[in-house]
Amino acid sequence: MKRWIYALLGVGVLASAGFLIQRALSDSLVYFILPSEYAAAPGEYDDRRIRLGGIVSPGTVAFDDQALQLAFQVTDSLQTYPVRHTGTPPELFQENTGVVVEGRFEDGVFVSDNLLVKHSEVYEPPKDGEPIDLEALKDTLQ
Amino acid sequence: MSLAPSRRPAWLNVLAGAAFLSVAIGAYLGLRVSPPDVNQGDLIRVMYAHVSVAWVSFLAVGVAALAGIAFLWRGRPRMDVISVAGAETALLYGALTIIGGMTYSKPTLNTFWTWDAKLTLTALMVALLAGVFIVRGLIDEPQRRGRVSAVILIVVLASLPLNYLAAEWFRTLHPAKAIDLTGGGVTIDGTMLTILLYNVVAAGLMFVWLLVERVRIGMREVEIDARRVQADGGSGEVVRV
Repeated sequence: MKRWIYALLGVGVLASAGFLIQRALSDSLVYFILPSEYAAAPGEYDDRRIRLGGIVSPGTVAFDDQALQLAFQVTDSLQTYPVRHTGTPPELFQENTGVVVEGRFEDGVFVSDNLLVKHSEVYEPPKDGEPIDLEALKDTLQ
Repeated sequence: MSLAPSRRPAWLNVLAGAAFLSVAIGAYLGLRVSPPDVNQGDLIRVMYAHVSVAWVSFLAVGVAALAGIAFLWRGRPRMDVISVAGAETALLYGALTIIGGMTYSKPTLNTFWTWDAKLTLTALMVALLAGVFIVRGLIDEPQRRGRVSAVILIVVLASLPLNYLAAEWFRTLHPAKAIDLTGGGVTIDGTMLTILLYNVVAAGLMFVWLLVERVRIGMREVEIDARRVQADGGSGEVVRV
């Protein structure tokens, strides 16, 4: 009896390990696509839920705090697309930060229902009056 | 039949005290001494706990797998005991890595969990470590039990380089390494780096203490089993410890 319970647990673990590997291979190797990759083959992503990753273009962020509508442009410096997101911006959302948006394109606008932040691996205390290193931020997308 | 009481060495209590003290100092450094981050503000303080525990989980898997290889080599029960102790601590630290990561991830990345390569490989590591104990429960014969569990631990160890480099090799939501041992340099402020490394040492000391305690318990278990075999009029086989 004890042996059967362990056998069932073992099958469960193997099944979940297989499931995780399958997720890792199918979904995770390309966790998001870049705006320029979408531009190269837009037909491939028609009517499909995709993750689009890029940098928030400076000077394009607009937030309507009554309707909770956030609009900005996402870029990989080769291609830029407008994004419309319903909801409040996350705490670390700002210009020149990496983001990954989940949703689909509708008439050239990416309509997102999930906005994730992909911040850089630079950790430092705040300094006064120092401009952000845009090139370093773009590198984090590769 | 009773076992001779084993005397608890004084240095073990010193080790335990040092482990708790250094974790407390590490928490103080992270919470009080570290400057806030330019982007994350005070959220950076969670990083010290998350990264140090994650690194030590890799160390624990390494100990478990290497002891497992040694057991495959010679079949000495002591190596299996060390391997199990390593695997248990690896499971603990792996679970803490995921819990700390989720805590850190929600306010910074805006999600508790996502199936990117780094997170998926970490989930796989924890699942396989849990699997070690399920498989061990299935097998009664100590030599076979030790061999099978050693093989699973070697598989877990083999997945670690992929996990370590996941954020560099694949596009992930998980941030890339700020301390890039593969040539990318260090992109973390000096004070923050010192505090992080201190916390790694503290988490490591705690791991060493847990490991030693668990090995002591494991060796007692081996002793008891050996005596039970003798009492049953077993094969008379000498159990080398």
